[in-house]
Amino acid sequence: MIRRIYLTSKLNDAVIDYFSLSRFQLHHGKARCSKSTSCCCFFSVMEERSSIVKTPLNNVLTQRRSKSYRRSMRSCVEATNLGYTSGHLTALRIPRSRRTPKSRDITKQVDPDQVALLVTKEWELSYVTPLYQFRHTQLKSYSKHLSAFIVSEKQQGLAIEVGQELGFKVNFSVVLGLAETDEDAETVFIQILSKHAFAAKDDAQKVVWSGWLTCVNGDLEYLRSLPSEFVSLPLLCTRGPESLTVLVKSWFEKTFDCCFGPLGINSTNLQWLAALWIGCHPTINIQYLKLVWTLPTLPPMDVKYTIHPQDAWELWDSVRQDDTTDVSIEEVTRFIKGLQSHFFRHFRIELSAGSLMQVSTALGSSHHSGKIKIASPTYITTILQLLTECALLKMPI
Amino acid sequence: MVATANLSRSDLDSSSGSDLSVSSRTSNRSLRVVEKERRKNEAGDPFLLALKYFSEVEAGTPCVGNDVLERNLVQVERVGLSRGLPPEAISVMLDYAMSLRMGGVMCVRVLKFLIPATVVPQEAVVRAVAWLCVSKMAISTQVLFLKWVLTVFDMIDSKDHIRAIYGFIFHFVTEENLVFRPFRVRKLLDLQTKMGRQPFLLLVLSLYKVFCPELVTLALPSRMRSGFKNHNSTWKAALSAVQKRNKGQVSSDISLTLGVKHKTDSRKRKYHHLEVPLLSSSVQRNSPSSSSRKVFPLEQLHSFPQLLDNLHRIELPSQMGSLLGSSLALCYLDYVQDDSAFLRLNFWLGHALHEEFLFCSGDGGSGSSSEALHLLNRLLSTQQFLQEGFSSSEGFLYKFLNVWDGSLLRPQILGLLSDIPVVPSSCINQLLFEPLVQLFFTSTLFFKCSVIDCLNNMLSKWLTWHSVYALEDGLDISLHSHTPMNMTLSGFMDSVVELVRFVGRLAAVGLQLEGCHSLLLSFILDFYETVCDMFLKYGLPLVVMPPVGVFYPALFATDPVSVDRLGYIMYRYKKNLTSAKCQQQETKQAFHISRQTYREFNHYLLFMVSCLWNSKMFLPGMAIEVDQELLALSKVPKPWTSFDLIHHPAFLGYAFDFHHKCWPERKKMDLNSIKAGKHWDWYLEFLFSQGFQGLQQFVQSSITRWSAAGTNDQGQGDRLSL
Repeated sequence: MIRRIYLTSKLNDAVIDYFSLSRFQLHHGKARCSKSTSCCCFFSVMEERSSIVKTPLNNVLTQRRSKSYRRSMRSCVEATNLGYTSGHLTALRIPRSRRTPKSRDITKQVDPDQVALLVTKEWELSYVTPLYQFRHTQLKSYSKHLSAFIVSEKQQGLAIEVGQELGFKVNFSVVLGLAETDEDAETVFIQILSKHAFAAKDDAQKVVWSGWLTCVNGDLEYLRSLPSEFVSLPLLCTRGPESLTVLVKSWFEKTFDCCFGPLGINSTNLQWLAALWIGCHPTINIQYLKLVWTLPTLPPMDVKYTIHPQDAWELWDSVRQDDTTDVSIEEVTRFIKGLQSHFFRHFRIELSAGSLMQVSTALGSSHHSGKIKIASPTYITTILQLLTECALLKMPI
Repeated sequence: MVATANLSRSDLDSSSGSDLSVSSRTSNRSLRVVEKERRKNEAGDPFLLALKYFSEVEAGTPCVGNDVLERNLVQVERVGLSRGLPPEAISVMLDYAMSLRMGGVMCVRVLKFLIPATVVPQEAVVRAVAWLCVSKMAISTQVLFLKWVLTVFDMIDSKDHIRAIYGFIFHFVTEENLVFRPFRVRKLLDLQTKMGRQPFLLLVLSLYKVFCPELVTLALPSRMRSGFKNHNSTWKAALSAVQKRNKGQVSSDISLTLGVKHKTDSRKRKYHHLEVPLLSSSVQRNSPSSSSRKVFPLEQLHSFPQLLDNLHRIELPSQMGSLLGSSLALCYLDYVQDDSAFLRLNFWLGHALHEEFLFCSGDGGSGSSSEALHLLNRLLSTQQFLQEGFSSSEGFLYKFLNVWDGSLLRPQILGLLSDIPVVPSSCINQLLFEPLVQLFFTSTLFFKCSVIDCLNNMLSKWLTWHSVYALEDGLDISLHSHTPMNMTLSGFMDSVVELVRFVGRLAAVGLQLEGCHSLLLSFILDFYETVCDMFLKYGLPLVVMPPVGVFYPALFATDPVSVDRLGYIMYRYKKNLTSAKCQQQETKQAFHISRQTYREFNHYLLFMVSCLWNSKMFLPGMAIEVDQELLALSKVPKPWTSFDLIHHPAFLGYAFDFHHKCWPERKKMDLNSIKAGKHWDWYLEFLFSQGFQGLQQFVQSSITRWSAAGTNDQGQGDRLSL
């Protein structure tokens, strides 16, 4: 069933023949040596910490207690509204089942040019708390302000007039049609173009940074509970130099009073992604399923595990209980368990002891540290929905 | 120096009580006072004579070698630099200097000691500007004058006329900045390109950033030289010295609060979520109305009177997190009750707490840094100031309790915990009790004490909210009916009962684990001092008795303080139960305290009386029953007396002491003789005089004494009828 297995082991300056013993079919078995990085440990620690944190209790909008408390007391005196209405302390729950991915030609709703901007690139993910007084109608002035801000930050201590021609040009645009429900705000795409000082007028400007804020199928209850002054676009994907990302984020923070934080994709969500991509196989050939685990050995060991798509599909098909449109977390776990036990039979390495770091197929790839690449526009909404969910789970309230 | 005419005026108004001899004002009334004073002192005061000299001196009088001039000048200078000059002196001297009656040198010298004691009359400035326009003054002197105007700008008594001549002033120096127009900004920006980064230009531009952020954007370097140096600093120093000396409330803070970051430590963090953002005006003008209306940015707010004057036109800053640093801004926040504003603040705060303590995306360390400590302390003081907890810190705590080790920033975390609002009884167990129980039973004695203390604070805050809002209810206006939180009185009572019972369980087991440690016992009794008074002190129709695991350890404690406090608690319970009963009988309904509570109380009371007073213990039917044969085996003589007020381990020392005082000549100690006759009364008096007020109140309220046939005085516990 498994045709090819790639193995990479991270060990200090020692080629281990343990893996090249190759009693098993190791086609490209290779042992690469690299200094172990503390980064791996850090992530696994982080994983633990965040997994201890139980389902976040999102008492969205219990804003001021005392007022509500006062009100509550009135209601008891009036004796009209007896009984405690819940709604306070509602929780955003981690979903235990999802719909199977629907193939959908997104280019019918969304401008294909804009779709082309989103796909086949690797994006770094962040979450954003709701934006205060963001208006989709003001994008032009946001462009001006952001470019002035970037220049003034770059040239500390020089005041910049807003609206002036500068070395940077910022474009804000709306990507219409990506939103799934009425509550989803339309996606906003931002591009930063740079001009050479000596460039001719009609020279093409170079895109130095791009990013987009999106919300696809966000939790309805959560979105509805926000007051109208807030726009929730919880997922930010960025691409470009870190320094510009920092500037853009800080401008957003100053302008819309929001906060950014890094959005990692934890093991469970990577498993979900693997399952979702496998589920697409009958319609689009995913070509391969590649999983990367990091095992907590000393030094940490990376295991790359590539599975032929047909084998993966057969395994997936066998763990699916029925042909419902929903995929449950149990099925996903069983699928991964199946892959792991197969690996164990051959190599005596218990992958479940490590953590899943990366998943990739021809449809896209995603990394534990919060990077994603979507290769095909067909299933983009499914992926974005999952990521929106992750971002919403990070909301502080 | 900004166009804040009415600000400084309000400042000054507030200081109208300051002593008049120095701070005479320009208003007619005070002018009259000054006039009167002047006439009174005319003959004697050399200062006034000097002023008179300067107002009358002829133009062209030589200044070199002029002794009269020198004497008078020194006179005024001395006053100016020590106490500051009264308004009319400013007026006279300014007029003298700017008219160049004795040349430019004198002018410069006079300007340098022109330190106002209170205010600068507007007319004087206007006249001086007029002189500026007509006379041929050296450029450096002109600049000096303008800098002086800028320095004392906030002290000019009213500015309507000055506004009218801004054009002139602006003509002289472009660093004037009083009306905000795009072309002015552009002019300044032009200047900037011509002259480079001059600190004073930056200062002015940063002011524009405060008032019209939509026009200019500017990143200030982290270390900036103060804008106008040289002369201003000496003036400012002199001015603040004078103000300090005069103790006037004229606290016009003339140093501009620039948005320069105060980097306390050089260590650069990769993530800034712990940095409280700086106050800065919002770039987007919220509504069309606000752009036409004059808004007052919070950055410019320096005093409470200012806040009151501008309450209607204050604009919230672009980042609500910045409010955490300013108590004035918090006052405003408390006043506006703006849902969105609170939500923004909560998002920021929740994000900072989550990132630091739960997602740990900082430096990989888990919030042990001094920044985290600083933030939490600030948050605590903010919550104390607002007298309520933020919902984001509440939500954070529920998550954090599950991963907390119980030692990281303990005082702060427990402080925040005691601020959380009433938790509905349906989820209180899962959210609060389960994580707390784990921490409590696996931690040290001191942690146990601080948890009990925290829960005590929490309870008293809940009760205070109840007593305030339930009573004020008639006054309360329904502001936001869409908030999901809704709690009835019975819901509230359920939560309180849950909390009290929970602490009861913790306390009972905790005492057992720690061998009835008296420190822990003391914290537990603190808690029950709050609990026993819930009805009388907070108007909550609820009485909950302590569990046996708390009552008996307190009664048999080896330190007299605990027994005394138990006495006080029982006394308060009795008061509460009696008045609850009265009210119940009067209103015939309203609430109902269960018979079980009365029964428990009576039970405790009887036991306490028979144990402490009647020397009856271990009898059949009592709470503590010991087999007689077993008692005999212990070989303790008269075991039933061993916990009366004489033999109780907590009071034995006092009994010895008393015995010694009564019968100093006796060689053989016979404590039982204290029980007899008058000695018992004296003994009680003796105990009460040692500071056992709680015991006294208990005895006086709960024991009816009657003399039995024998010598012993018998007491009967006053039970409450069921």
